[in-house]
Amino acid sequence: MSKAGSTQPSERHLSLLVTVLAFALPVVFVLVPLAIFLVYSFFSVDQGTIIHAPTLGNYVRFFTDPIFLPVFWNTIVLCVSVAVICILLAYPAAYFLTTLKGRWRYALLMLLLVPLLMSYVIKIYAIRSILGLNGFLNKALVALGILEQPSTLFVFNMNAILLTLSLLLIPFAILPIFLSLERIPQTLLRASDDLGASGLQTFLRIILPLSLPGVASAASFVFVLAIGDFLTPQMVGGISGFTFGRILYSQFGTAYNWPFGAALSVALAIVVICAILIGERFGRNRGTSI
Amino acid sequence: MGLKRLFLKMATVGLGIGLMTSAALAANLRVLAWDGYADADWVKDFTAATGIGVDVVFIGSDDEIWAKIKGSEGQDFDVFAVNTAQLQRYIKADLVSPIDVTKLPNQKEVLPRFRDLSTVSGVTKDGKVYGIPFCFDSIGLIYDTDKVKPAPTSMSVLWDPAYRGKILAYDNGEHNFSFTALTLGYKDPFNLSAEQMAAVKAKLVELKRNVLSFYTTADEAQQIYQNNDVALIWANYGQQQVKALQKIGAHVAYVNPSEGALAWLDNWVISKGVRDNAAAEKWIDFMLSKKVSGGLSERTGFGNTVVESSSAGSNDKLVWLNNVEDPLRRSDMWNEVKATP
Repeated sequence: MSKAGSTQPSERHLSLLVTVLAFALPVVFVLVPLAIFLVYSFFSVDQGTIIHAPTLGNYVRFFTDPIFLPVFWNTIVLCVSVAVICILLAYPAAYFLTTLKGRWRYALLMLLLVPLLMSYVIKIYAIRSILGLNGFLNKALVALGILEQPSTLFVFNMNAILLTLSLLLIPFAILPIFLSLERIPQTLLRASDDLGASGLQTFLRIILPLSLPGVASAASFVFVLAIGDFLTPQMVGGISGFTFGRILYSQFGTAYNWPFGAALSVALAIVVICAILIGERFGRNRGTSI
Repeated sequence: MGLKRLFLKMATVGLGIGLMTSAALAANLRVLAWDGYADADWVKDFTAATGIGVDVVFIGSDDEIWAKIKGSEGQDFDVFAVNTAQLQRYIKADLVSPIDVTKLPNQKEVLPRFRDLSTVSGVTKDGKVYGIPFCFDSIGLIYDTDKVKPAPTSMSVLWDPAYRGKILAYDNGEHNFSFTALTLGYKDPFNLSAEQMAAVKAKLVELKRNVLSFYTTADEAQQIYQNNDVALIWANYGQQQVKALQKIGAHVAYVNPSEGALAWLDNWVISKGVRDNAAAEKWIDFMLSKKVSGGLSERTGFGNTVVESSSAGSNDKLVWLNNVEDPLRRSDMWNEVKATP
């Protein structure tokens, strides 16, 4: 009894410490920086120094200046397209994985995720070489007789950003879709089979609806990662592929207009949070019913 | 026991060495410079010739120089290297001392364009000399000798529709506004009126439509050159970039445009906290010797102020970079150019 009595307070201390840490870490490393960003977005800049007096000027400029909203909108459209392409390519791959048995399934999944271990910049460099006028893609298309001359369609424009981002982000789409497909109980599929449904009917009525949560979170993952990226557009976007990320980057990198950059980030953050909420909502609605 | 004595001995020796070096440091000339400006063999030669020891600290960016000099109010260094665009703010902040040019015999032997320092923008103030130019490079034009014929003489070739989609430009609003202003014939490309800014912006939108992509690093430009059909490169990295391209077998040449090439110019300056002014003057004079200046060009590819080099012929017009009227405005307008469909 006395032993138990002496350990209990220290255990309580420990659990209290763990609780505090669990709350403190996200607060210090996520909420506080976000709050600082939000505060900065209400400052302004004059002659290279930040003026710490609240103003709505940055937001007014974002909504009234003719360049920001169109670029913002185009970037959202671009990233939705990237998400759609990634889903269309990742779904069959994930589905194929679930049809594999035992060890093969996870070995192949690991292989598909290996690109994530490589440096992001090196991957972009490599893809840019492949897409270039003298690159592998053009050489292959010309050799196959599909193109007569190398084409500039694939690099330094919006197409290039779309292709590159899709390629880079596919692993992030495969994983959640695979997990949701794997979670579908085999008994349901057998029941469907027993009741005389064809393969296609089983897929459309059982597998697809039950995997939609995975699709939704995959889509929101890809969208969020794509919209925050400035490096890919900067490196393969050329003159027509101007995205919101590039504007944002220029506010910090070259313009030294941190407050305006912060305001643009807040706009971006709102879109990102919406995307995550939508992804999560669809993810929950059906997934938990089984 | 023996071990203890050994430690004691080591500590004494260590203390002795520490005292010696700190004594030596006190008398040494303290130099702050970019890599390549104070190579070990030159430092050795200087010490052999003058008996003055030298401690060199290398820096990697303009901001770092400012932080080091401003941070100690100039007390931590005797001599440092800074470019003309930056120098004025050091003068304004009272961090540098005027230099007596008569104490620098080698300054009389420099190339004609650097002989009269009052004609070099940015190195003097109120008739006093604050910077001694010694190293420069132009921001010229690299062209593919197989694809661009005849050889271009002006940046206006970048607007030639014949090279549409074969041009690499640099992703920087400040420089792009300056060089386009020169191409349009404006006198002071660093102080543009609102009207001139608008004209330059319109011209840059046209340029953008002729360009394949905007690059940021020399390495990046080279990679794009290798994988695409590139005829012209606006060469932010000057001679270094040409040399790197030639090394990979590219048939390229370099030209400084006739309307004037933007160019950076680094100067030796003496800090406010200089301990031994005569030693600092000797260092600068030594750097202006034919041997060191010529060697600098050989090793780095940059131009020097003493011996003719490939960076710029004596007839090439160079426009030394200066502070621009409003960097923020230029950066915003550059974004507008990029966002224009």
